[in-house]
Amino acid sequence: MFDRLFAGALLGLSGLIAWTAYHFEVAFQYEPLGPKAFPLILSAVLAVCSVWLIIKPSANKWAPTGAVLIKLISGVLLMTGYAFLFEKAGFIISTAIVGTVFCVLFGEQTKRAVLYSVTLSVVSYFILKHVLQLNVPTGMLFGG
Amino acid sequence: METLDFLATGFSVALAPMNLALVLIGCFVGTLIGSLPGIGPINGVAILLPLAYAMGFPPESALILLAGVYYGAEYGGRISSILLNVPGDAGAIMTTLDGYPMSQKGEGGRALALSAVASFAGSIGALILIVLFAPLLSELALKFGPSEFVWLMAFAFTCLATMVGSRPLKTTVGVIIGLLLATVGVDSGTGVLRFTMDIPNFFDGVDFLVVVIGMFAISEVLILLENWLKNDMKLTPVGKSFVSMSDLIAVKWVVLRSTLIGFVIGVLPGTGASIGSAVAYGTEKRFAEGNDDQFGKGDIRGLAAPEAANNASAAGSMLPMLTLGIPGSGTTAILLGALLMFNITPGPLLFEQQPEIAWGLIASMFVGNIALLVMNLPLIGMFVRLLSIKQSYLVPIIVMLTFIGIYSIHGDSFDLYFMVLLGVFAFILRKLGFSLAPVILGLVLGGVLEENLRRALSISGGEWGILFNGPISISLAVATLVAATGPFIYKALKPKQ
Repeated sequence: MFDRLFAGALLGLSGLIAWTAYHFEVAFQYEPLGPKAFPLILSAVLAVCSVWLIIKPSANKWAPTGAVLIKLISGVLLMTGYAFLFEKAGFIISTAIVGTVFCVLFGEQTKRAVLYSVTLSVVSYFILKHVLQLNVPTGMLFGG
Repeated sequence: METLDFLATGFSVALAPMNLALVLIGCFVGTLIGSLPGIGPINGVAILLPLAYAMGFPPESALILLAGVYYGAEYGGRISSILLNVPGDAGAIMTTLDGYPMSQKGEGGRALALSAVASFAGSIGALILIVLFAPLLSELALKFGPSEFVWLMAFAFTCLATMVGSRPLKTTVGVIIGLLLATVGVDSGTGVLRFTMDIPNFFDGVDFLVVVIGMFAISEVLILLENWLKNDMKLTPVGKSFVSMSDLIAVKWVVLRSTLIGFVIGVLPGTGASIGSAVAYGTEKRFAEGNDDQFGKGDIRGLAAPEAANNASAAGSMLPMLTLGIPGSGTTAILLGALLMFNITPGPLLFEQQPEIAWGLIASMFVGNIALLVMNLPLIGMFVRLLSIKQSYLVPIIVMLTFIGIYSIHGDSFDLYFMVLLGVFAFILRKLGFSLAPVILGLVLGGVLEENLRRALSISGGEWGILFNGPISISLAVATLVAATGPFIYKALKPKQ
């Protein structure tokens, strides 16, 4: 079932790609193939593969429980939130918050999770910024 | 003789203080990453790649570091296989079969020591073969024109499709997704913007690092979340770690055969350590027929074979990457992408024009393997202790490193969102039984494939027949056909048991 859904999406995608590629406006071209041919060939192969997959899908036993699904979704939300906070709140604050929640998601007690993540974020900030000299966002709170 | 001169140049690069330090760091981190269940070599290299890039290392140093992580992880993978029955990475799955029973019998130390030596022998054997074959292969590749390269890549993808993953069809889809990702951005020939969806961040193409980290590291975090169980794995006591001469003598032919098998499979495009170790184990079991009742119960031959083979194939997969620009495994695809980011095109000219990179890397692998043998014999206790680190402490570090690595390239939050999105997509792919290595191979080779195809047809004026011009093209075309049909014919002819 999952395979069929996914293959259907791929089939739609291949159509979209072919349509987009076909409508590239090429002002000048010195070679016979040009920028359209390669994507068109690929979308054709993708379409054939998708149809094949729809006809002959593999069995899929993936059936996550509600609890696992919630965990996965919270993981995705957490990382999206991290991406949102990373620059705005700065490395130290965002890492401390996100690290704490991840610790808890993996079964750590809240108190130890906070302690671990705060230490991790502060120590790593100085290592990454001053020892490895990477571009680490300081965040508005610290005047970054 | 010329080869020896080049090798000497290589050692002068590899033994420069900074590069020497990077080899040691790479090997150490690699062993660590390999031994922790869940993070394999691909993830290790992927997480460290943006950091190495952002720190502004020269290309040969970055490559030396990342390669160290790669083959270091092949050493490390055996530790948790033997002690926990949990393979640290895909290449170490076969090691659990005889390694874990040995540790249950209280022979953990013996197993760790013997497998370290087998790993070392496999690596060094493969490296010697690389030194012998690299000049020959790059000389042959100098004769390659665009149509030969098109076939070479077709051959690589076909090998990948028929040998890797759950189904050839799914692997093909993975490759196509990778190739399509590679077409995003401005077309260098005509200046046309392709599939950018008017997002300026895509005008330059999708960033290789963002794709690699998103697809491997982020999806891995989701997999860890899904599979998380309370960490109550019990370490079996290691016992005394020692290398016994009689063990080594007993497995010397096993190691030699497995090294050769691992090397050949490593060189074949797309097939990496996990297949090499499985084939070597199977071969040894057949060789020992009549005397194989101990296999799976703690036979030292069953332990030495996969370990020699997975290290030999890790080293072997470097050979086509360096000489032809075709990666031999998923991890070498990332290394190839790393080279491209430094504006270095691997291939036959690399050996002539930038010998310090090609030979520096090869020499550093000799140095690294000696270091790994030292790390994995007397210092094994330290890695064993690190095995008990909790996932709740590990995951925040992984997530933090991926975010800072990606952010520090462009300083743009867009990359972070895109990375998470790709991670979710890759998670779905993995759940549906698609493997990710084909996607990365497609992404890395997409640009080169299209360029060579277009160049070939420019030469011929649009005549597709040019693809069958010349003996090399035709032999590669035949090889592709054999790779595509061979496994099915073999399956059909094999008598049913």
